[in-house]
Amino acid sequence: MFDAVRNNRKIVQIFLVLIALPFALWGVDSYVRGGSAGEDPASVGDSKITNQQFQQAWREQQDRMRQTLGANFKPEQMNTPEARMATLNALIDKRLLLVEANHSRLTVSDDALRDFIGRIPALQENGVFSNDRYESALRAQGMTQPQFEAQLRQDLTLQQLVGAVGDSGIVSKTSGDAILRVESEERLAGELRLPAAQYASQVSIDAAAIKKFYDENARLFQTPDQVRAEYVVLSLDALLAQAKVSDEDVKAWYEGHKDRYQSAEERRASHILLLDKDKDPAKTKAAAEALLKEVQQSPAKFADIARARSQDPGSAAKGGDLGFFGRGAMVKDFEEAAFKLKEGEISGIVKSDFGYHIIKVTAIRPGKQRSLEEVRPDIVAELKHQAASKRFAEAAEAFTNLVYEQPDSLKPAAERFGLKIETSGWMPKNAEPQQALGFGPLRDAKVQAALFSDDALKNKRNTEAVEIAPNTLLSARVVEHQAAAARPLESVKAQIEAHLKVREAAALAKKAGEARLAELQKGVAGDKANWGADKTFSRLQPLPAPPVVARAVLQAPVAKLPAYVGMTLDNGDYAIYRISKVSQPENVDEARRRAVARDYAAVVAQEDFAAYLASLRARTKVEINRKALDASER
Amino acid sequence: MATYDLEEQEQLDEIKTWWKQHGNTVVGVVLAASLAVAGWQGWNWYQRNQSAQASAILSVLQRAVEAGDTQRVKAAAGELAEKFSSTPAAGLGALIAAKAAVDTGDLKTAHAQLAWVATNGHDEVRELARLRLATLLIDEKAFDEALRTLDGPVLEGFATRFAEVRGDVLMAQGKKAEAATAWRSALTSLDATDSGAKGRSTLQEQEANAPYRELLRLKLESTGEAVPAPVAAAPAKEAAR
Repeated sequence: MFDAVRNNRKIVQIFLVLIALPFALWGVDSYVRGGSAGEDPASVGDSKITNQQFQQAWREQQDRMRQTLGANFKPEQMNTPEARMATLNALIDKRLLLVEANHSRLTVSDDALRDFIGRIPALQENGVFSNDRYESALRAQGMTQPQFEAQLRQDLTLQQLVGAVGDSGIVSKTSGDAILRVESEERLAGELRLPAAQYASQVSIDAAAIKKFYDENARLFQTPDQVRAEYVVLSLDALLAQAKVSDEDVKAWYEGHKDRYQSAEERRASHILLLDKDKDPAKTKAAAEALLKEVQQSPAKFADIARARSQDPGSAAKGGDLGFFGRGAMVKDFEEAAFKLKEGEISGIVKSDFGYHIIKVTAIRPGKQRSLEEVRPDIVAELKHQAASKRFAEAAEAFTNLVYEQPDSLKPAAERFGLKIETSGWMPKNAEPQQALGFGPLRDAKVQAALFSDDALKNKRNTEAVEIAPNTLLSARVVEHQAAAARPLESVKAQIEAHLKVREAAALAKKAGEARLAELQKGVAGDKANWGADKTFSRLQPLPAPPVVARAVLQAPVAKLPAYVGMTLDNGDYAIYRISKVSQPENVDEARRRAVARDYAAVVAQEDFAAYLASLRARTKVEINRKALDASER
Repeated sequence: MATYDLEEQEQLDEIKTWWKQHGNTVVGVVLAASLAVAGWQGWNWYQRNQSAQASAILSVLQRAVEAGDTQRVKAAAGELAEKFSSTPAAGLGALIAAKAAVDTGDLKTAHAQLAWVATNGHDEVRELARLRLATLLIDEKAFDEALRTLDGPVLEGFATRFAEVRGDVLMAQGKKAEAATAWRSALTSLDATDSGAKGRSTLQEQEANAPYRELLRLKLESTGEAVPAPVAAAPAKEAAR
């Protein structure tokens, strides 16, 4: 075969160059990870938003929601394509800013970075940056120092850009004043009401109209697809209630675990501390020995000496008192010394990592064995829990098998585990969350889906055992099913008639009202109607009417007074408003003026930033891979 | 010396003649290419270095603004504009300095900063400067100049804001009807960005835009002209119950 190579040297050479070229230009890694490229949910310019980055952002978003919503947080309801898209969009926006920051060659210098880290309060000890704290904080985050610093540098760079664009908004004072004028404007208006009821007598609804409405709005007159179900719940709690514990067991447990019912010995001690911070340890030690002598000469003055000389800021003020502590709470050397002393006794010099201590034990609380009777309830609860947990593990499997193997009844399972068969009320398919709250444990989405499956509806089988909560299994079966059906015309006739009547009457009221309004606006009709009392409408005050009305009154052109505006209200009445006076309040509260200006500036700044982002997005190639996004669900 | 057979001897000769003919060209091309690469690298290095310095001054400027140190703000902004005028950081710095100047009532400096960016800045930063310069010009009652600043092509994404500020100018001139037209077009352009363009979720965008939409409507209302009905009208309740 090498003959072939030699004879076709040219061809082989060209071939080799062709093979080498891609490696030279794009490197090896584009071959190695080529396959995963399709799974990235988006790309911004040349950089990709990887699935992993998206997942992390998604998790963080969910955590935030969980914190804000607490018990109302329902992950499956939040997991909508829209929500995922929103998270992705936020990521894209951030990436756009990063790309732009890089493109603008914004950087944060090492000095600035160091300075920033040095000023993080959580990393300081006594107001000074502490390297130990920094390292332990990094460990807690599971990050290496270069990782953290790269991340921080990126954040700071972003902040530089975001701050420069977002915090530099300017609004014109002229426009601001204009806005304040509109916001504080007051309009005095009275109402003339044409009630729909007044026109009801003129309306007659014939059978054909009712039938037409019925046909056109069939959707409204349907009873839902609904089921009634019975169910059993196997839970740890149920087994707990059944569990029995004999006296012998309790006793045996107590004997076997005596140490658990022992309260440990505790001691109270005071100390005087000299910190080991002098360069010459011998010096500190000498000082400690001198102090010890002083204490030994007048043991009664221990507290006073501690107050004056101890370098432990926490305890010195309390005469060196550290309160009660058990084993494991103090530094090892200190603990050993403190637990060797008798009550009232003063130690010699004790060296620890901190420095030199002189310790005095002021009280001893000996360890104590608690009696069986004292701890019996605890033991009973503990043993019951153990027994139930153990039984639940076995029972869960048996329960799951039983409801599956005997699919025509829940009785075997109920009898075997001593459970009660409960029966539900009617449950419509796809119920609103609010309504579903009334379904009890059956509201679980998986249970609902199972109940409305063919297996449960047509074959009347038990649903599989569903874990509706930790350590809680449920199986249900349909007792009764009512398919969706149209309600007969007869049963809804009266309703439709009433509805149409109101509608027609409202239309008549509107017609009359509009005619009246036109006359008023022309100034033809002598304005003698029965106007209601004038009320003040202002955007800065509580509205004297529903928002729709207030809005209309405040928006009406008022070049000429009185001005009129009319609208149909929710209940079908037609209302005309006569605006008789437009004025500015005599004095606008200074605080109010500033608040309006501030809000205006904030809204404009926000919009500036939005426009900035939109513009970046428009001139950067942003690709969203919907398939990858949808595939990343769950 | 190694001996070559005839065929190889021939090949060697061929190569030698070829080199005699083209050697200078090859060396020249290689040299030129090397120089170009070196020059490119050097240019990049220079740019990076300039940008790093400009970026550092920008940080200083930002911190001076936070601290309210007017003198240092001015100095840093001046340094950026003089020595690093070609870097993007210079434009950003001027935006910040202008805002700081407005806050301290020094409208002349603000005007100068923004005018500089509006002429020398790039892309989005330039658009922001134009908007803000026009805003300042309204307060200076230089309405024609304000309108001229807003004239000309606008980057996509800024159309709404430009229409809004144009309305501000016209309103300040007392041209209510024209201002209303401008603000109405701002509302239309805001709706256009809302309607799910670029894969954004409509609902979310609308929520985020709500305060700005309210502001535009309020401005429109102040003209006494008709205001378009809100987009999301309450669905008519036809329920038969």
